[in-house]
Amino acid sequence: MRKKHVLAKSLRFFFLSLYLLAAVVPLFWIFITSVKPSTEVYTYPLIYWPRHFTFENYKFLFLFANFLQYFKNSLFVSVVSSLIAMVFATLSGYVMARYKFKFKGTLIVFLFFAQMIPAYLIMIPLFKMFSDLGLINNLWGLMIVYVNIAVSFSTIMARGFFSRIPRSLEEAALMDGCSRVGAIFRITIPLSLPGLAAIFSFSFVNTWNELFTAALFLSSNSKMTVPVALYSFISKAGIQWNVMSAGLIVALLPTILVFAIAQRYIIAGLTQGAVKE
Amino acid sequence: MPSSSKQVGLKLKRFIFCMLLPTFAIILVLTYYPTIEGTILAFKDYSVFNFQNIHFVGFDNFKTIFEDPEFAIAAWNTIWWIAFSVTLQLLLGFALALLMRKPFKGRGLYAGIVFYPWALSGFAIGILWSWLLNGQFGLINDILIKMHILNHGINFLANPKYAFISVIAVNVWYGIPFFAIMILAALQSIPDSLYESAEIDGAGSIMKFFHITIPYIKPTLVSTVLLRIIWVMNFPDIIYGMTRGGPAGTTNILATYMINIVYFESDYSKASAVGLVIISALTLYTLFYLRLTSSYEMGEL
Repeated sequence: MRKKHVLAKSLRFFFLSLYLLAAVVPLFWIFITSVKPSTEVYTYPLIYWPRHFTFENYKFLFLFANFLQYFKNSLFVSVVSSLIAMVFATLSGYVMARYKFKFKGTLIVFLFFAQMIPAYLIMIPLFKMFSDLGLINNLWGLMIVYVNIAVSFSTIMARGFFSRIPRSLEEAALMDGCSRVGAIFRITIPLSLPGLAAIFSFSFVNTWNELFTAALFLSSNSKMTVPVALYSFISKAGIQWNVMSAGLIVALLPTILVFAIAQRYIIAGLTQGAVKE
Repeated sequence: MPSSSKQVGLKLKRFIFCMLLPTFAIILVLTYYPTIEGTILAFKDYSVFNFQNIHFVGFDNFKTIFEDPEFAIAAWNTIWWIAFSVTLQLLLGFALALLMRKPFKGRGLYAGIVFYPWALSGFAIGILWSWLLNGQFGLINDILIKMHILNHGINFLANPKYAFISVIAVNVWYGIPFFAIMILAALQSIPDSLYESAEIDGAGSIMKFFHITIPYIKPTLVSTVLLRIIWVMNFPDIIYGMTRGGPAGTTNILATYMINIVYFESDYSKASAVGLVIISALTLYTLFYLRLTSSYEMGEL
């Protein structure tokens, strides 16, 4: 019995380690490639640990390949659109969690379907609409499209968070002489801050990663977002993989950071719907 | 009194309306209107060469795509792409969740590290893996050669035989954490007392697994799989980072097939026709899904 226990334990340890390797090695390898000079990238047998650490690739990226500009563009569209979507979702999610009204069921189905329509499927009509409005190749235009990408799922999540905050807390505040809006701001919003953080992070990640609409909408180099820049890299013949790897690290880093900070809340937000209490 | 309560009712209605307006206005104008507009465009001749005189052309665009052999490949590939990706993501994600169920030292950190890929850009992950699978300098080839599984490197993504397997494998790698997260949460919600009383009745591990674990988390499994199918169908990002549908359309799914028409042929109406095929499949599937789950659960998702 004891022997069996030890065996089970070591098997478990083995598989957990194996999966850890599978998860970590790809990203690690890209990082290693990004700090190698190209002479050590294109050589066989492969060099597993760089002999000369270098930040030349990052320097090249930011000084010559205009990556700072792309980074700023991406940051602008994702942060602004996620904030706007979060505010809209807070308003509508709150009402949908607290009040009964006509057509509420219809609106929920509406949200559900909207969330299912992926960006690439509607990018052509949006392209037509935004070119008629003169908002093509314009970061504000893209930002508006991204609010739409983020807002339906944000509302679904916000409704979930608000409905888990007991109504009685707000009513108590109302009795104590708070106004309705005062009660929302003093009681409900502070209590749902983790939820709001999750909503924001989720939208940020989705908009930061969006490629297809951006690649169609943005034509001039100075307007490109990070994914579009990566796309233009791979479209060109003869990619320098050490520079490309540095670009990938720069593209992935913000989402990794956001997740390191907010993963707990995001996972709570995601799984609460799926797990029945 | 009745008139003032009516006023309160009216005021509340106005309040609700104003709160809902921004969200639903933007969804209506930027999701639903374009969906309808896209449907109409599928029957017109809108392209980068024809911005001004857009006409109805009937079913011409559909004729064009149905006669294109690459469309048939993409349609079949979509089915295989979904079937293999979701099945393997589920099985491996389930296995990972089971391994992580009982607490161990550093489990929180472990979860933080192994769960990271699911939020990363699928496109960037695709590019990343195309470097790992590189025929000459790729890490995967090097490892396989060192393990004596291969004699010489394979150019995985240039070879139609391996390219589609490769994109599915990467998609599985990418999707395991999502399943593991959902299933782990469900597993942790099973009360220990259920297992304890089963043990008293003399149930073994296999009995417990099939009679307690599976039935208890079945709702999570069903809803995660059903939603994931839609998501994977509409996930061209990894393929786009790795192969862009190539070589010769062998790794296209309908999504990448459509995007390639937009980017490389700039024939927006033809692409819209493909889009309409995708939306029809999506709608049929969603209606089927909604019949399977109650509207209460749906609102919570």
